[in-house]
Amino acid sequence: MLSNILSDLSLYRRLIGMQLRTQAQYKFNLLIDVGTYLFVTTMEFFGVLFYFGSFKSILGWTIGEVALLTATASFGFGLAEMIGAGIDSFDVTIRRGEFDRLLLRPVSAFIQVIGSDFRLRRLGRLTQGCIAFAIGFVLLPGFHWTPAKLLILLLGIASAAAIFVSILLMSATLCFWTVETTELFNSLTYGGREMMSYPLTIYHQLLQRFFLFVVPLAFGAYIPVCYLLDRPLPFDMPAVVAFASPLVALAFTLVAGAVWRFGVYHYQGTGS
Amino acid sequence: MLRFYIEVARTAFRRQLIYRWANLAGLITNAFWGAIISYLIIALYHARPVAAGYSVQDTLRYTWLAQAMIMIVLTFGWYDLMLTIRSGEVISDLSKPCDFYWYWFSREFGRDLYYLLFRGLPTYVSGMLLFSAGIPGRLDVWLLYAVSFLLGAMLGIAYRFLYNVIAFWVVEARAVGGMAGAIALFFSGGYLAVVFFPPWLRAIADWLPFNGLLNVPAEIFLGKLSGGDLWLNLARQLVWLIVLTLVARLVAAAATRRVVVQGG
Repeated sequence: MLSNILSDLSLYRRLIGMQLRTQAQYKFNLLIDVGTYLFVTTMEFFGVLFYFGSFKSILGWTIGEVALLTATASFGFGLAEMIGAGIDSFDVTIRRGEFDRLLLRPVSAFIQVIGSDFRLRRLGRLTQGCIAFAIGFVLLPGFHWTPAKLLILLLGIASAAAIFVSILLMSATLCFWTVETTELFNSLTYGGREMMSYPLTIYHQLLQRFFLFVVPLAFGAYIPVCYLLDRPLPFDMPAVVAFASPLVALAFTLVAGAVWRFGVYHYQGTGS
Repeated sequence: MLRFYIEVARTAFRRQLIYRWANLAGLITNAFWGAIISYLIIALYHARPVAAGYSVQDTLRYTWLAQAMIMIVLTFGWYDLMLTIRSGEVISDLSKPCDFYWYWFSREFGRDLYYLLFRGLPTYVSGMLLFSAGIPGRLDVWLLYAVSFLLGAMLGIAYRFLYNVIAFWVVEARAVGGMAGAIALFFSGGYLAVVFFPPWLRAIADWLPFNGLLNVPAEIFLGKLSGGDLWLNLARQLVWLIVLTLVARLVAAAATRRVVVQGG
């Protein structure tokens, strides 16, 4: 069991290393891509900031606090986009019949899929996340770090990334039957990131519950940031719930993994 | 000749009809974004009834109008022309006995009509149902909006033709296209209404071509423009339309003079 995981990990390292070396060959292109992506995401972020010229706060959240939310959501999503690129383009793998070939190899299909692409240009979004963090903390001069807060923030970002990758994986699983990715899942990934960039309380009760208990993205952004800012958690949950983020993310990941295995087991090839 | 262009537009319209499920998924995406921004706006307006001259109803209406018009005036990720340049297919379009620009214009115009009927209208109607966006009640507003929207749609075609045609010179033109789309989306009011920009940025945005894509028709729709201001905005839209169309045709002419296609 353990040796299996270790050999998977070393395989993943090799696959990613290959990707990184390839992409580093085209330095100029990479630079342009990262720059463009940084530019696009920063503009989205400024779009949010400009609202605060006319409005001082959103349901009690100030501009700096919202910037922290946006930064956390961006970071989690940016990591997921970088790691999960291979899953994101899974429909192509299926359509070309390449997945049949992957299945023939005596290593985990999942590792091969997730290792098939790693997009360095997504560094653009992570850079934007850093800028948003910087702006947020500059606008919140009274903020005090504690080790617990740092831990919660890091766990939150990791949980968000894991949940986003899990959503991508479930969307990819659907390709076994539909052959193409449905744009609908974009509402959960891109839309989910956008939603998590604002305080959860602005949404309808049902949507709040959905993002807490069904697709628990709130555990990757809103709840950790509430803990950072000493704000009460939604639905009167005690503050220690913030420490549960990794567990919630793990549970969601396990469900996604089960769905994926079900899909692989029932996959019959795309023919032709 | 006009009959030929109309036929090109009609074919483009019909070709689009095939993608029924993709359009439905896109429609849901548009509505979902509209809903997120609507929640944000309602929460922001909680503290004050009017901001920058816009009421919460105005801003909601602007948001849904933007979501409804976006696929028409600013078709994000539209690289059709660029791809024909990369694959060399462009040569068959260049060989057609018609003008290269007006050929693509007709194609895009047909597609725009499709998106107006099957994407724009349903998106806006969902905004009316979900967030009571409502519609203007005055006939003159509708007429002026129709004129301004038409100018905006044609401006949008010229703009996306321009950032696609650079593929004749730049191999990796997609990054440029992505950047061009993002800039236009921001300055046209696609992320947030131009009225919320800081004053200095607003002053710049007013004179950019992107203002005519979305912001001018939307402000007319909201009844925010009247008198001299209205005519100034329409004139700016028209001038930018003429300028961009001329530039697009010049660039296309320059590109086609030096086009070399690898045989095979």
